[in-house]
Amino acid sequence: MITLSDVTKTYGKGESAFTALYKVNVEIPTGSTVAIVGKSGSGKSTMMHIMSGLDHPTEGEVLVNDQSLQKLKSKEIDTFRSNEMSFIFQAFFVEANQTCLQNVMLPLEIAKVGRRNHRKLVLEALTAVGLEDKIDSLAGNLSGGQKQRLAIARAIVNKPKLIFADEPTGNLDSSTGDLIIKLLFKLNRDMGCTLVVVTHDDELASRCQIQIRMKDGCIEQVIGLKKTQPSKLKTGKGAKK
Amino acid sequence: MILRDLIRRSGRSLRSAKARTLLTASAIAVGTFALTLTLAASNGAQHFVNKIINENFDPAELIVAADKTVFGRGDTSKPREYDPSFGSSTSSAGATTQIKRITDQDIASIKKVKNVEQVREDITVNLRYLTRDGQKKFIGSVAGFSPAQKPEIVAGSIPKPLNNQRVLLPEAYVSALGFKNAADAIGKQVTFVVAKPVDTTSLQQRLASGQPTSAEDLARLSTTNSVSQNYTIAAVMKKPTTSQPGTELYLYIGAEDARALNDITTQGTDNYRKYNYVFVRITGGEKEAILTAAQDTLQDKGYLARSVKDTQEFLTQIISILQGIVAAFAFIAVIASVFGIINTMYISVLQRTREIGLMKALGMRNRDVGRLFRFEAAWIGFLGGALGSLLAFLLGTFLNPIITKQLDLGQGNYLLIFKLPEIVILIASLMFISIFAGWLPSRKAAKLDPIEALRTE
Repeated sequence: MITLSDVTKTYGKGESAFTALYKVNVEIPTGSTVAIVGKSGSGKSTMMHIMSGLDHPTEGEVLVNDQSLQKLKSKEIDTFRSNEMSFIFQAFFVEANQTCLQNVMLPLEIAKVGRRNHRKLVLEALTAVGLEDKIDSLAGNLSGGQKQRLAIARAIVNKPKLIFADEPTGNLDSSTGDLIIKLLFKLNRDMGCTLVVVTHDDELASRCQIQIRMKDGCIEQVIGLKKTQPSKLKTGKGAKK
Repeated sequence: MILRDLIRRSGRSLRSAKARTLLTASAIAVGTFALTLTLAASNGAQHFVNKIINENFDPAELIVAADKTVFGRGDTSKPREYDPSFGSSTSSAGATTQIKRITDQDIASIKKVKNVEQVREDITVNLRYLTRDGQKKFIGSVAGFSPAQKPEIVAGSIPKPLNNQRVLLPEAYVSALGFKNAADAIGKQVTFVVAKPVDTTSLQQRLASGQPTSAEDLARLSTTNSVSQNYTIAAVMKKPTTSQPGTELYLYIGAEDARALNDITTQGTDNYRKYNYVFVRITGGEKEAILTAAQDTLQDKGYLARSVKDTQEFLTQIISILQGIVAAFAFIAVIASVFGIINTMYISVLQRTREIGLMKALGMRNRDVGRLFRFEAAWIGFLGGALGSLLAFLLGTFLNPIITKQLDLGQGNYLLIFKLPEIVILIASLMFISIFAGWLPSRKAAKLDPIEALRTE
């Protein structure tokens, strides 16, 4: 369960201050699939960053499984991130001149998982995305869809409870994107992890259990879940970033 | 991240930018190359000096002179008061200077010093020629033999003591003097012919005595005569590998014999019984305290006393100064390459901004990100160091025989001696310097905001 209560994020100070999020309140149940949708600049990426502890809210609190991220030290947040969550990005961010094994191994190394289990865990993850025969190939030789599947393998190798996907299909054609979406939902079912997808693809959003529609730093509408408290941005402060 | 994974990842990222890594490492390799060769040359020179000293000098002996100029320390720019012991000497720079020499009185005075066991004059007699029945005449120099010398013997043996007109013959004279081989020469005789200068004293006595003197007598007394002496060959020496240039063909005879021969050639001249320096053997002089005590006493008496160790230090000091200069330039090259590393590391951080962002998003600690880049810098340092020292080693190994031949160092003596521990320390220090150079770029990487980094397309 992820709970955001009165989360406000302001960049800059004084005249140039810009409020990216204003008093956002939302609860995301464990194991659900959530889509955060909105135009660019609506605050959806900032919300994802704050949920993952990469960014810190100016005000308010983020609770993950009743643990306040604001009360953790930076080292504890790093440990929390390396053990509990994972990311998938629009631009894949796979290292082209490293093998698939080396790419997928990275979260295991960061989480200090014993070296003996590395290959076995990597192989499991690659099997889940259908790339098990590419384990020793260079990531650069893969197609776009394969690269995103590799990124997914990297995201699931450490069995996280929470996966953040930032426009996971943005760089893919529709049929490949479709495969990736199916794969993500399948993993969500099989592993029971929470999946948070940031997207402006309505088709992808409609397939999620919960849709959070963002506009100008506020939650405009939540579909599939009762919003705890409505939020409203003060007039004139929601300039687009 | 654990250390091993960090090191492996940093190495892997270098491999992905091979050309850049290699070029940066080459800059370090240039400095390392020069430093490795300097170290090797330093070792070689040190080794060579030690070998010369050990094979020619007795550590319990002091070299004693009456004039500082002998050791190149005197002031020749001021007028000096006359003393009958002055004589001419050629300095290493080729100038002829007058120096105060050791006389019989000095020797007597030196002998009174505590623990002085023996005083041996430094004698070299230039023969008019040396020959053997029915053979050609050759020029030659005869020197007094020091028991500390350890010439390699081809045939015969060195008598202890070397006396009774016995000689150690350099191998080169064996065939020149018509012997079948070295063994054939043993026990045979060679004739030394030395010049006997005009004996003015006896000429004056003869004339003053009023005896009838024939023109023939006068002619004989007033021209330089030759004196012949026969010496028995005791041993044949191989050409020494560590002798001073010019002394390779010295014939060695006992100290007594050398003194007698020297007396003949100098009698009636200014050089009679005057020596540039003498070797003073100190009882128990192997112990530094005893040797230093005797040295101090001699110096208090106004002599210049130098121990073998001093000589060694003096010789190696010159070498060290030269090497210091080369090393300084090499060090400058290393410093220059540091900027190359800083530049390369900045580029690396810039190129891998997204990767850094990803690693941070996945929970990698800032400290570990910094370390990742510092290890990368260390790898570059290691590569450069290993490359430079390997090239120096290969070149040195290839050049050593050629240098030995060109400088006539003697077989088995190499100018360049490579020591593994030194190279290891050198490479380790380069890695350390590289880490230092990678400090700023790695700090930049560590402080990178992951959100900003991930936004980079």
